[in-house]
Amino acid sequence: MRRLALEVAVFVRSIWLQYVALFQWATINGYIAYKLLLPVTQILFFVELGVYATGRQNALYFALGNALQLTANAGIFGVIATVANERQYGTLPLLLASPANRLVTFLSRAIVNVIDGIATVVVGLVITVILFGLDLHRANLPLLGLCVVVISLTTAGLGLMFGSIGLVMRDAIILANVVYYLLLIVCGINFPVSRLPFVLQLVSYSLPLTRGVQAAREAAAGASIGQVSGLLAGELMIGLLWALGGYALFRILESWARRGGLQEAY
Amino acid sequence: MSLIRAGWRAFVITIRMRVISTWSYLSWLVFPMLFTIVGLYVLSSGGASSSRLVYGVLGGGLIGYWSVAYLDAGNSIQDERWSGTLEQIFATPTPIWVILFGKVCAGLVFGLVSFLPNAALAYFGFHAVLPALDPWKFVISLGVLTLSFFCIALTLAPLFALWRWAFSMLNGFELGVYILCGFMFPIAALASWAQGVAGVLAPTWAVRALYASTVMQGPHDFTLWWLAAIGLSVVYLAGAYFLYGLVEREARVSGELALA
Amino acid sequence: MPAIEARRLRKTYKTTRGVFRREKVERVALRGVDLAIEPGELFGVLGPNGAGKTTMTKIFTTLLLPTSGAATVLGLDAVHDQWALRRRIGFVFGGDRGLYWRLSGLDNLRYFADLYRIPPEVTRKRIPALLERLGLAGRERDRVELYSRGMKQRLHLARGLLNDPEVLFLDEPTIGLDPVGARELRVIVRELADAGKTVFLTTHYMFEADAICDRIAVIKGGEIVAEGTPSSIKKVVQDQGVVEFEVVGMPAERVAGLRGLQGVKSVAVVDHELAQVVTIHCSSPADVMTQLGLVLDGMSLEKVSSREPTLEDAYVQLIGESS
Repeated sequence: MRRLALEVAVFVRSIWLQYVALFQWATINGYIAYKLLLPVTQILFFVELGVYATGRQNALYFALGNALQLTANAGIFGVIATVANERQYGTLPLLLASPANRLVTFLSRAIVNVIDGIATVVVGLVITVILFGLDLHRANLPLLGLCVVVISLTTAGLGLMFGSIGLVMRDAIILANVVYYLLLIVCGINFPVSRLPFVLQLVSYSLPLTRGVQAAREAAAGASIGQVSGLLAGELMIGLLWALGGYALFRILESWARRGGLQEAY
Repeated sequence: MSLIRAGWRAFVITIRMRVISTWSYLSWLVFPMLFTIVGLYVLSSGGASSSRLVYGVLGGGLIGYWSVAYLDAGNSIQDERWSGTLEQIFATPTPIWVILFGKVCAGLVFGLVSFLPNAALAYFGFHAVLPALDPWKFVISLGVLTLSFFCIALTLAPLFALWRWAFSMLNGFELGVYILCGFMFPIAALASWAQGVAGVLAPTWAVRALYASTVMQGPHDFTLWWLAAIGLSVVYLAGAYFLYGLVEREARVSGELALA
Repeated sequence: MPAIEARRLRKTYKTTRGVFRREKVERVALRGVDLAIEPGELFGVLGPNGAGKTTMTKIFTTLLLPTSGAATVLGLDAVHDQWALRRRIGFVFGGDRGLYWRLSGLDNLRYFADLYRIPPEVTRKRIPALLERLGLAGRERDRVELYSRGMKQRLHLARGLLNDPEVLFLDEPTIGLDPVGARELRVIVRELADAGKTVFLTTHYMFEADAICDRIAVIKGGEIVAEGTPSSIKKVVQDQGVVEFEVVGMPAERVAGLRGLQGVKSVAVVDHELAQVVTIHCSSPADVMTQLGLVLDGMSLEKVSSREPTLEDAYVQLIGESS
């Protein structure tokens, strides 16, 4: 029992250290701006746009969609920034050569970003709810919370894929930026997926967020867990597929790198 | 004369650096188009009214123009800090405002180009057009808008040199202006305190005139809007005068320019 | 009138530490430096990292304001006359940062020529001449990122010479260069001084200062601890000799024994692979040599030698003494 407690403590501390390392560049002012000002402004922009186009009664629709999309910010950029940092400080080869279980290494990197993502969404939502006086009294709040957790996990799964790509592609962060904003278009954040051309709808449903956002909107309207379980299961499945794909890519790239095939990896 | 040459060279060098930088294509080409797409989808949600779609035609371009015009000079200060050249250019006999003048102008050029792909996307993708364009008023409004962007960028750019943390703060301001200056929706929808803040931002008035020049229904008071934008821009420049003095002094006290 | 002068120059940096409980920290970089460098001199400032060399250079090049005291270059105040001064001085900081890597060497030079407000007709002649002089001709249209470290450093020097400065500041210019590149750079710097330019050079390599400088100041902890020609600095250890030997395993009490010998000033033990190199500074090497056997009875000494002190010995003693 004591041993378990000790291991948990070590794990928690390593996550905390990872978090500090992730934002070591930031002063407290910079951190607040980055974690608060940018996300909230982004939500406000789309909510105001949506309210102008479709009426104030739809504010919650836009607030939820855009707040949840922010998990992708933490998931995608967090993982990719970790890899980029390791490259910059020259610790990437150490990571690849370390005998530690690489899945654990990999996941501990993702978990920091999941926690970060959840925090971002909660803060973003709370501020938007207050600013727009949104009505959540019918909402199934525990279920909404569950949706937030699920989406944070699934977008981090997508992030793992980009983390792997980041191993070989110096400019992966650019790709991540484009994908991040593409999610705004294809995942039903600001308008229903059904309005997209058919091909893009296929893309929508192969990405995280799409089903999760739908489930969250239903939870906010008072749905029970039974009504959205299908959506959430699908969301988790997609996230898992992306994470597995990312891990597989990681292993392939790692073995290439060790055979000296990937100079770029270092 | 030699100062004009120095500013011109800073302009040319900035353009060349931007042409070979992948990031710069994101900021003036890719991001604005993504915003345009979302904007047009949302604006066409509640039954397409052409006066609303106008915001989709020009909104993405405005966003692109603003982010490039405003952030490029600041970002390039940040780049110069990373590459260690910030200190070098600071130590030359050319005042830093001359160099930033050149950099900001380079941003304006890229930003103006940003309108074209977005308008094309709106036309071909969503059949959205500017219903009643008054070319002269449009061009003058765009000129006034350019002046206001120029003055804000030139005024705020030295803050990037002075405070590294300003980077994220000033990035937030970039997004805030999308909302406050009515780039993609009129500010009449905003809370009254927000409208108050918007009123002291020069682009608000220029953007208002710009959109007014594309639709018939009035009432329009172009002269007032133009004068408001120009007047505010001049006030910013006065502030810039003090900021540059502060930066020249503070940078030499703290040695911040050298830090990466 | 000296070309470069500092009077009671002090610089204190104020920084804040900590995230939540802000704590103001003051760090003193220069504590009252006095210097006078004559026109045409090649003056070396020698000191360990963090001694204040870079701070001093930056104050003279108008990049930093001193907290108190005066700094003048060519009779111009480095605090208030910065615009006039910047036109007449050049500076090069070591390392390969500070260039636009994605532009060609030529573009880098043209850009800075305009920032230094040099008339175009002058630039047109001067850039090719500098490229030729610094061995960059033929590569000027390549991007800087393709240059070797040595080439980058020579490009830095070309940039520093664009305005044909009367005074040139070089802050650790050979840092990170390979021995050949460093020697080439030293030759060029010496030639510049011979051609009449005043050169202010900082370094932490004693042999570099010894090889090319007319005069040297040794700086430590923001203070000048010695100043003079290389040979006058060596006088610090003039009446001393050095005994060196290698030994495997050097117990502390034996070191103490050596220190106790008559005429021994200092004993330094440095690990070298599996053995230790012992360096003894003393007034009479011959006496120490004869007593070694007594103190180190039973130990096998290798490569025992005695030699004249070098500038490095003087430097080590100066830096060690004031700590």
